[in-house]
Amino acid sequence: MNPFCSKREHISRRAFLKGSLCTAGGLVVANWGGLVHSPTIAADVERRGKRCILLWMNGGASQIDTFDLKPGRPTGGPFRPIATRVPGIQICEYLPRLAQHTDKLAVIRSMRTESPDHPDGIYHMHTCYKMAERTPHPEIGAMVAKYLGRIDADLPSFVRMGPTGNAGAGYLGPQYEPFSLGRDGKLSYFTTPYVDAAAEQRRGDLWRLLETEFARDHHAEPFASHRLAKERAWRLLRAKSIFDTSKDWPEVCERYGNTDFGRCCFLARKLVEAGVAFVEVGQDNYDSHADNFVCHKANMQVLDPAWSALLEDLDARGLLQDTLVIWMGEVGRTPYINNRAGRDHYIRAWTIVLAGGGIKGGQVYGATDADGKEVKDNPVSEGDLFATIYTALGINPRTKHYVGTRPVWATPEGSRPIRELLA
Amino acid sequence: MPEPAALGQAKLLWTLPFDADWVTAVCFLGSTRRLAAGNNLGQVLIWDLPEQPDAPPPLPRRRLDGHTNAISRLVATADGRWLISASYDHTIRYWDTQASPQGQETLTLNARAREEAGRRGGKVPPAVEATVNVQPATQVLRGHRDWVSDLALSRDEQLLLSGGDDGWVVLWDRPAAKEQRRWQLPAWAYAVALSPDNRQALVSERRPLVFDSSRHAGVRLWDVTSGTVQRDLSSDFKGIYISAADYSPDGKLLALGRGGEVDGFNGKVFLLDPASPGKPRELSPGHQYGITDLAFHPDGRHLASSGRDTVVRLWDTAAAKVVQEIGKPRGSQFKDWIHAIAFSADGRWLATADMAGAVQVWAFSA
Repeated sequence: MNPFCSKREHISRRAFLKGSLCTAGGLVVANWGGLVHSPTIAADVERRGKRCILLWMNGGASQIDTFDLKPGRPTGGPFRPIATRVPGIQICEYLPRLAQHTDKLAVIRSMRTESPDHPDGIYHMHTCYKMAERTPHPEIGAMVAKYLGRIDADLPSFVRMGPTGNAGAGYLGPQYEPFSLGRDGKLSYFTTPYVDAAAEQRRGDLWRLLETEFARDHHAEPFASHRLAKERAWRLLRAKSIFDTSKDWPEVCERYGNTDFGRCCFLARKLVEAGVAFVEVGQDNYDSHADNFVCHKANMQVLDPAWSALLEDLDARGLLQDTLVIWMGEVGRTPYINNRAGRDHYIRAWTIVLAGGGIKGGQVYGATDADGKEVKDNPVSEGDLFATIYTALGINPRTKHYVGTRPVWATPEGSRPIRELLA
Repeated sequence: MPEPAALGQAKLLWTLPFDADWVTAVCFLGSTRRLAAGNNLGQVLIWDLPEQPDAPPPLPRRRLDGHTNAISRLVATADGRWLISASYDHTIRYWDTQASPQGQETLTLNARAREEAGRRGGKVPPAVEATVNVQPATQVLRGHRDWVSDLALSRDEQLLLSGGDDGWVVLWDRPAAKEQRRWQLPAWAYAVALSPDNRQALVSERRPLVFDSSRHAGVRLWDVTSGTVQRDLSSDFKGIYISAADYSPDGKLLALGRGGEVDGFNGKVFLLDPASPGKPRELSPGHQYGITDLAFHPDGRHLASSGRDTVVRLWDTAAAKVVQEIGKPRGSQFKDWIHAIAFSADGRWLATADMAGAVQVWAFSA
């Protein structure tokens, strides 16, 4: 047993040496963010208790069929706009419950991004950097876990369910990797021990004894990482009852919609309530190159109750003011309708929605032209979006990390938070 | 009625431009020479077809105003007077095609083609203009709260059956324009068909999600008199979306078509006996990417199917063989669709609703 203070309580000797080397000599050593994640900064952010839920529309939702309708135009399609709680803001008729929450939403109709396909778009919209870069950038979930997560918590700081990001923790290191659940939000079968609790405890104690003996002669970092991961897994198992929604789901399933996505949104609410810093919930079926309208209608009938109930519950529990809820995918969809009744990928003018913590709701930011082909006002890049998100969460978007000697910022050079969107 | 041998030869008589948007529905008005077609915008036009097959393409005579979203189905009474339309605007409308018009308007039937040619810098075709009488609907049925996806008229014209994306199937008293009965499905209604004796209905169901556990595909036969399930065929069509259905005139055969966008040539036609259980017969080849519509020929022996491959196939249902393929696959990897098909009452003509913005009229001749 180490008689001294644990690593998280002080800057480790290794981190100090690496940081010193970087600063003084510019030598090639990765610091894994060890210096930046000082207890002082983390505690400061933690006091604010900010959380984030990302509703990820995998495949790319159509902006014209959701939040930027073009009725009567050749690009309009068959969906009709409806009035919402906020005069002047109209959204799709298949989001009627969400229409009652537009006072909480900031709809950005002027996204203009750079990565048009799925893998690169997913990476770009999770990291705000292009996939082609050689630097392994961390996903937003890892970044939020690092700055808003509690390292001493039993629960992971970054949980995701269903189809989600593809970048992982990148240069932030393995401690910020996501903890992934299935698309139904359930834990894997192997999280249920096949021996009773007492036997499990004896096994753990025996393992720790052997590991302690082993560690006396083996000081390499991978061994320590392995031990840490194992201990964290055990801690997680102690807290795993939070992932069990079977008891409370019947009470809420009508409001959230009896779907996988609805259940995952409900679990997301439970997790942020329990202190998890970042939860990502993916919804599939948006990549509608064919039959776009029936796909989107079916999806919105899943999305509308789930998203609305999530906002309602967060609000009712006083959590919404500190929980940023993001709705986005990797691309938008073409204004023109192809000969498969579909819409293809489109990145020149599309929509993302923010709500809750740090965001001024009840507004539309930016605009597209009459057919939705081009951004007319206030184009927003990936970097601008992430700078806005990080600012809303209390994370400095110009936070600097080192990959070797190379400084890397949380958002690309020139990215600016959109002040109009911030509360 | 053409001899069976004549069905093997189809000649394109006219292509009628209607390029404001995709043509989605087509119907002959009873035994008259009048033809109606509707499009994605909710516009409905009526043409009087010439007696002479070598006459120039006719221009539309009427426009029926009122729908505000796509027309999903057109049906008509045998006397040709009443046209009934179902739409994504949640309504079903009755149109008296003998009513006095309320005014006239001039349309450019190829406006979109001209605009596109101009934008591409190509040769702009001359405008095809028509002066049409315009009229409103005489009756509007508002029994659905979402898209009315399909509509069937009984052979005796006493009943209408509609299915909607609201998950409701509604049986209507057609002459009284009143709702008789309704029943709810676990998902959206897709295709509906009524048996000739008015006792049975086929309704297919869908919720087109890909991965969510609430995805749904179903096919059931219903007792129309009670609104209860007679037979659940879903296990025979596991995971398959049935987009089109039609009973043969004698009610002994029920044809079903696989729709949505499917891989390869799996847009199959299935035939089954609606009165007794048994495995459905499968007709090959299937349409590439899926079936859009089915229509029995008035002779009861032949069936037409249309697909997302710009092709109409005419089948001999007894022999389970293709008699003729009408039209050719066009375009590149993905083709335009033939959205809907309709036979004339005498079985000599076939009309097709072409996604590219036209109605084609084909004639069968010996």
